[in-house]
Amino acid sequence: MSIFLSNEIIVFLLIEVILIVLMAISQVNIVSIVRHWDFDATTPLQYALEKKNYLINTILYFTVTCKVILFLFFIQSLNALSGIVPGAMCSAGVVGANHYGNALLLLKLLLIFGFGLWLIVNKLDLASILFPYLKRKYLLFTFLFVGVLGEFVLEILYFSNIPLTVPVFCCSVVFQAPKLPFGYTQTLLVLFFYTLFGVIVLFNTLKQTMASFTCNLLFLFIAYYAITYFFGLYVYEMPNHKCPYCMLQKEYYYIGYFIWGSLFLGIFFGIMPFLIERITQKSYVYLLKYSSFCLTITALICSFYVVRYYLMTGVFL
Amino acid sequence: MSKIAIQNLNKLYNPNKPNAFYALKNINLSIEESEIVILKGVSGSGKSTLLSLLGGLSKPSSGEILVDAHNIAKLPDIMSSAFRHQKIGFIFQSFNLLEGLSVYQNILAPLALTKLGKEAMHEKVSLAMELANIEHKKDQKVGSLSGGERQRCAIARAVVMEPEIILADEPTANLDKENSLMFIKILKKFKALHKTVVIATHDTLFDELSCINRCVQMRDGELVL
Repeated sequence: MSIFLSNEIIVFLLIEVILIVLMAISQVNIVSIVRHWDFDATTPLQYALEKKNYLINTILYFTVTCKVILFLFFIQSLNALSGIVPGAMCSAGVVGANHYGNALLLLKLLLIFGFGLWLIVNKLDLASILFPYLKRKYLLFTFLFVGVLGEFVLEILYFSNIPLTVPVFCCSVVFQAPKLPFGYTQTLLVLFFYTLFGVIVLFNTLKQTMASFTCNLLFLFIAYYAITYFFGLYVYEMPNHKCPYCMLQKEYYYIGYFIWGSLFLGIFFGIMPFLIERITQKSYVYLLKYSSFCLTITALICSFYVVRYYLMTGVFL
Repeated sequence: MSKIAIQNLNKLYNPNKPNAFYALKNINLSIEESEIVILKGVSGSGKSTLLSLLGGLSKPSSGEILVDAHNIAKLPDIMSSAFRHQKIGFIFQSFNLLEGLSVYQNILAPLALTKLGKEAMHEKVSLAMELANIEHKKDQKVGSLSGGERQRCAIARAVVMEPEIILADEPTANLDKENSLMFIKILKKFKALHKTVVIATHDTLFDELSCINRCVQMRDGELVL
């Protein structure tokens, strides 16, 4: 059986192809809009471009929103595929089935952030009569479109290289000591997690967009390891279950969606004000409040599991 | 400065197709504040197209439509809607009323998008009904009104936002003589309120009216000088 025949993959790739076709059509039109755009002109060409611009905006708004939703479906599909990939107990086994999986996931996450940025710039552009960010917005989309094409190639490579006869490794069979970045210990990792969280909240409160941008990117990296190699153990209540995906399952009350969702949203709101300032010269510092709020939720949920485990057993894992 | 200034306006339907045709050709027209202007011409001469462009209901193919020195043809859709809501009162030939609602509710509809309180809304609706002489029918569903009453309801709805500009497309086409004369009376009230009014019509009733400032003739999408 080919993995391309599974329902999830058929639906996922079909939607991906439709969205890519829509984006490609938009991209062709974007070139003509950007080349001939002169907002002060009242010529037939300019009016035609303005109409075309509305159409392209609508298509892009739809496709970009769909891509964000499709990311959730992709995560869900990985989980469903664990049923047909031998040895896989959850998404961890499916993602790690070949070396394209993690790269694809990282690219998807970066593109989601990029789409979010595009939606905000688009909103600012449409809110103004003069379309001041039209060229920058379309330039940003062009980069995203290249990313989407690369993502599609990676998806095909990834899906076609998932072995269906050879068992894959999964979190359930990983019983070695955790491999942490730079040889960190768990204690150091947790210390970094809370320190960086505190620093981000401080910078967010002081509305330091550049500092917040830098710290949030660093926090994404630290938080991934901290959740997978420390907090996750308390969620699963098992000292060797180091998996970022199992917590997305029903057995753990889907808590992973809240942990990862609030983390990614917090990071998104934390890095956006700096990027928006660079592109539009407009202040969007109010997003930093949402960043602090979301990251606090992440930290609270993670801490809750540690405290609960300690109160129940009197020991740490 | 003119209230409305139209410069080199063109409207091409079905561009790049065999059945492409110009509904408006190189229109240049200025309308001053408080002026009442009649656009005259036979069916297909471009009157309604010009009105819809003036009201921001559609976009031109080229040229400018300046209202208070702002080119409304360049407004994004959302701002175009806001412009219509605040500055334009439109009286349609077929009235375009909400059939299931009462006269009062129809007139209230444009105010629902504002942040006015109930009292202020009621006051505005009452004034509009009084101006259009439709107060006595306020609780009646518009489906049960006569043609003249429906039109007076449409007029009240058009003026309830107190727009500076009122556009009317063939306002007397569906009315008998008596109701047409009633419309003329309301038109005189507009004049007293210093509204800028543009009426597209081929009704000869408007030919000799003292309240009319100008009559502009249109033929085949062009202004006839």
